Amino acid sequence: MYGWIWRHLPGPLPVRIMLATVLVTGVVALLMFVVFPWAEPKLPFNNVTTPQ
Amino acid sequence: MDPPTEVIAPVEDDYDDEYYEDEDDDYYDDDYYDDDYYDDEDEQPAPPPDSTARKTVRTVGELLITAGLIILLFVVYEVYVTDLISAGKQGDATQALDDQWNSNTVETDPQRQVQYDLLDGQAFAKMYIPVFGPDYKFSIVEGTTDKDLEIGPGHYKGTALPGDPGNFSVAGHRVGKGAPFNDLDLLSSCDAIVVETQTQWFVYRVLPMSGEAAGWAEKQANPKCAKVTPLGAPYDKTVGQEIVLPTQGEVISEVPYFTGEVAEAQRAALMTLTTCHPRFSDRQRLIVHAVLTMSYPKADGFVPEEMKEQ
Repeated sequence: MYGWIWRHLPGPLPVRIMLATVLVTGVVALLMFVVFPWAEPKLPFNNVTTPQ
Repeated sequence: MDPPTEVIAPVEDDYDDEYYEDEDDDYYDDDYYDDDYYDDEDEQPAPPPDSTARKTVRTVGELLITAGLIILLFVVYEVYVTDLISAGKQGDATQALDDQWNSNTVETDPQRQVQYDLLDGQAFAKMYIPVFGPDYKFSIVEGTTDKDLEIGPGHYKGTALPGDPGNFSVAGHRVGKGAPFNDLDLLSSCDAIVVETQTQWFVYRVLPMSGEAAGWAEKQANPKCAKVTPLGAPYDKTVGQEIVLPTQGEVISEVPYFTGEVAEAQRAALMTLTTCHPRFSDRQRLIVHAVLTMSYPKADGFVPEEMKEQ
């Protein structure tokens, strides 16, 4: 999977490294700002209230 | 003897796709295989082409590693990133509260009934726990939904307001999201919880713990405890700290664990803090009960002496 992505990145090595960094940053940002905020309330970690 | 390197080498080669593309096998040919040890060996067989099974195993492995990394990242998010997001929201809420307090200055008149503007997700009071250090301060917002609690500790709607008889109940996160109640388990009896409203300061003190009521007279020699006494019926089950099930809503009732009517004159002014327990889990709830011991009108430059307690 990662090998496949790497082989399909265009350009010489420095450009590939840059593109790969951009890809990783994008995925991390997507997780941090979209996926995790969505998933977090569904997980049993941090409920702090009692019913009234 | 077949050295294991002989087996590993082609596998390593196999994973390293770069070497195939670049046809750059010099390293292995010259430095690795051509040493004396291997001289009498036959030529290395060409590595087998990537079979479907091999590709599948590799992809599954990569997916598993990826899943592990995502879970690690989630921990980082939960413990650190939500703190940053919440710090911004808490700052905004505090700013809005300060603006509100400064804009309609109320002349200090003890007779005047305090009016709160209770709007969901908006701060209406500040809380301090001096034993947690002078930098421990949070603005309490109205409401206990996830959105409210992201901003800061949230007041259970409908429970008493600061200083009033009844049970002023506040929920807060233990982990992440600013973690206002992270150290709630470290509070001991008689520790002060100071609540500041637009017109007044209220000093609540943690009630005696369940085992302490018996020898309480000795404890009261401590000046911090002078005004704290076990409350007695109907409050006999209300102790300084308890761990309950998430379903036990009675801890934030007007009189905790008591279902009958209690005349308003007999109602103590309690403050109850709730958070999750144990840390990183929502299996139980950690509850701290405190009782109002002191109140001061606000005045320019006046800070209650309880704020200096360590």
